[in-house]
Amino acid sequence: MKHLFSERETFRHARVLYAAVVAVSCFVIGCGSNQEFPSRPLTLICPWSAGGGTDRIARQVAVQLEEELGVPVNVVNATGGGGVTGHSRGALASPDGYTLTLATVELNMLHHRGLSAIGPDDYQPLGLLNRDPAALFVHKRSDWHSLADVEAALAERAEPMNASGTAAGGIWHAALIGWVAQCGLPSESVNWISINGAAPSLQELMAGGIDLVCCSIPEARAMLDAGEIRCLGLMADERSPAAPDVPTFREQGDDWSLSSWRGVLCPRGVPPERVEVLEAAVDRLSRSPKFAEFMDSGGFQTSIADASEFTEFLSRSDRQFAETLGSPAFVQSQTAVVRPYFFPICLGILGLIFVVPACRSQAAVATEPSVAEESDGRSRWLRPVVVILAVIAFVATCETIGYVLATAALLWLLAIVFGATRRQIVGVTLLAAPLLYQLFARTLGVPLPWGWLGW
Amino acid sequence: MVDIGAFTEAATQVFARGDVWLIVIAAALYGVFVGAIPGLTATMAVALFVPMAYWLDPIAAIAAIITMAACAIFAGDLPTVLLRIPGTPASAAYVDDAYAFTRRGEAQRVLRLGLVCSVIGGIFGAIAMMMLGGWLAQAAGWFSVTEYFWLFLIGLTCAVIVAEGPRSKAVLSLLLGLFFSTIGLSAAHQEPRFTLGIASLYSGISFIPAMIGLFGMSEVLLNLVDGAAPAKPRSPVAPALQRSTHSLALTLQEIGDRLRRRKMSTLRSGGIGVLIGMLPGAGCDIASWVAFAASRRMQQKAPTVTGDEGEVESQRRSLDSIGDATTANNASLAGSWIPALVFGIPGDSITAIVIGVLMMKNLTPGPQIFDEQLPLVYSIYLLFILANLVLLPVGLLAIRVSGTIVQIPKAVLFPLIVAFCVTGSYALNGSLFDVLTMLAMGILGFVLVRLQMPTAPVVLGIILGGPLEERLVQSLTAANGNIAGLVQRPLSIALATLFVVLVGSMLVESFRRRDRQAT
Repeated sequence: MKHLFSERETFRHARVLYAAVVAVSCFVIGCGSNQEFPSRPLTLICPWSAGGGTDRIARQVAVQLEEELGVPVNVVNATGGGGVTGHSRGALASPDGYTLTLATVELNMLHHRGLSAIGPDDYQPLGLLNRDPAALFVHKRSDWHSLADVEAALAERAEPMNASGTAAGGIWHAALIGWVAQCGLPSESVNWISINGAAPSLQELMAGGIDLVCCSIPEARAMLDAGEIRCLGLMADERSPAAPDVPTFREQGDDWSLSSWRGVLCPRGVPPERVEVLEAAVDRLSRSPKFAEFMDSGGFQTSIADASEFTEFLSRSDRQFAETLGSPAFVQSQTAVVRPYFFPICLGILGLIFVVPACRSQAAVATEPSVAEESDGRSRWLRPVVVILAVIAFVATCETIGYVLATAALLWLLAIVFGATRRQIVGVTLLAAPLLYQLFARTLGVPLPWGWLGW
Repeated sequence: MVDIGAFTEAATQVFARGDVWLIVIAAALYGVFVGAIPGLTATMAVALFVPMAYWLDPIAAIAAIITMAACAIFAGDLPTVLLRIPGTPASAAYVDDAYAFTRRGEAQRVLRLGLVCSVIGGIFGAIAMMMLGGWLAQAAGWFSVTEYFWLFLIGLTCAVIVAEGPRSKAVLSLLLGLFFSTIGLSAAHQEPRFTLGIASLYSGISFIPAMIGLFGMSEVLLNLVDGAAPAKPRSPVAPALQRSTHSLALTLQEIGDRLRRRKMSTLRSGGIGVLIGMLPGAGCDIASWVAFAASRRMQQKAPTVTGDEGEVESQRRSLDSIGDATTANNASLAGSWIPALVFGIPGDSITAIVIGVLMMKNLTPGPQIFDEQLPLVYSIYLLFILANLVLLPVGLLAIRVSGTIVQIPKAVLFPLIVAFCVTGSYALNGSLFDVLTMLAMGILGFVLVRLQMPTAPVVLGIILGGPLEERLVQSLTAANGNIAGLVQRPLSIALATLFVVLVGSMLVESFRRRDRQAT
């Protein structure tokens, strides 16, 4: 094992050296077309945060892709916006094949809800990895032992039942509302509480704040095994190997199934020969025993599909979500008890209350303008403005000319602004930029922007 | 109660393996290094380590994570004290107090005290984790969203209490931070707010670039307009270690004195740290704020001394509060592991990653881990103690070396800080938009300091605004929009009462202060 590892390391170093030579020579010659792909590190965008299920799969995929492709693969957690951020960044990345996305089911949902202009059409599917069906959980002390019990309770109760599992409008919300509508019950009978994530929802179930949790089995694994919660049914066509005791909805007479999925995609427009390389690599890794073992131990349900099947699956799934998310039942269940601008308005009112005393205390402590400020005011204010403009210029040019050159330019300008001696300026510019690159990109593995020099 | 066999197995696993020692020392150096760079947090140190964890066995991987987190949280104090830039969010509470010592040339004094208190806090946390373990996790299980709502409100009130200057300004700063937290796709509603149609704003203002900007970039800008900040003239960064007036012997004496004098407050801060650490979402930054505030409140009860003696006394009090805050933030690290191990619910972002690593190793956190993997649980306890013992020498070394930071001439240091701010804010998400966020927050911080408004509450507002609003909306939704839903359970009534008492005492105090000023 150790031996193998060191061999891989030397291989990687040789690769990096080679990549550097190719990049520099291409820069000198002025071409960049016929280099071998991939010749530099890849980025795998994970739209969810570190430590979660998607992140765990992303990191496994990154490690195995690294072995397949021979270049480092960095996972970037582009989180936020309920998946909007990551999925948009993955789709809008430059279509050179160096940025992949571990997309999740939200790719099928966000555009139907008007949250993002990005949809499956903006991506080139490479391979489907997993599908996790939704499941319904109750507290161990709950009176409900089957779906029929819950249905009866939903129909009888005057008060709506509190349920959660993810943020409002998320996949598990759609799953639950879809089922409720399927049963012919009014969507008002469920009061979906927007809790970000399955783990906090399950905790809320334990604390007695809600009655039902809808999420996938692996997300509830620990508490299910501990006997703290009970699973009433799986929204799938057949039972899950991870939880063979749990009956499906279909077995209990409700013809309803819905799953989340995860797959690897790249932006549309990547040259076909590169797509081929990537497809083959994703296919090999997803069919490897190592991957199967990882998925099993994590409790994820593997569902492998190659690029063409995945493409078809994506469009089928997109149609299903268009139907579910567009249904009147779902739209109605989206009306919030607390309006979105309730909290900001409260803040505004509080702000108005406190502005007056704050201004008064300002007047009490305000000092007279210092003489120094009056005298050389202009040049003093000029310098911070130059610094601000320098950072803006860095942001504007960094992706084109590369991190090292942009940073060197930034440092050079700043050193002048701060009045460094000539030797200091040269030292800071020439030493700090490559050292910073070395530190962040090499030691810490941050994918810094590449540019003209290939840095 | 203690399973001796499992304990011996754990002890041999931890202490008898050369590779574990090597990994712990390497992780300590790495943790100190990452923590000391503003913008790189303990969470980031751990997140960047995850790919490497694939090649390690569970004990080694956990050892590395525990050590790097503890060391990074301590190392966050280095730039806090030396440059007035919190290295990690946990240091933000005492940034101004600590920097005051540096201005007097006593940076080493604060740092050594912070180090010792960190180690004590870490060990306290480990012991608390051992003794209370599963039992405490059940207490966290009683908390529903409503209790969290009150808890977050109490945390924010503490931030206002500890802020310097007029309270109304601190409240305004806090509201500003809270407003920033509402930008983006609302977690509670899934509806974009204040995004101005900019796609990057959908994910909101990420707080790490914001913090780098507010504390790092603004400092650079303020220095450029040298001495122009009216109330607090900003001295050049480096009067510090050169004429360090505090010898090691004196510091040791002071630390020994502190240990004897402040047993109870150390216990209190450790306890606060562990308790807050256990609550999901409330990590070491909040522990640090709350312990700092608690420390301040206790001091206000003591008689005030004036004159020269008063100066010494206020320095000592300031040190005491810093010590309490550092104790709490390291203690909270262990606290956050309790719910993570028992229920698989992470106490903070670091343990969220830990759960991932454990599952990667085929170990599912949950109550059964205490039955099936008892040696592993004991190993985790022992690793906490080992990590904190390693922190002591590594930390002293780091304090030594950090002295060189402040000797670098300003003209070289400031461009480097800007480059670090830029790269650090880019590094977290690989997004250039975050760099712009950092810059905008730098300008805002500059303006705020010139208006004599505190910047720390802004950061806390950004961090806690999202969870606070979510919990409020969730509580109200569960009660169908009825405000009474916030005080329906005994636990929430207790927390609400605590909140009202805190706010009430704050108001009474500020009225009294105004009266005193008037006469």
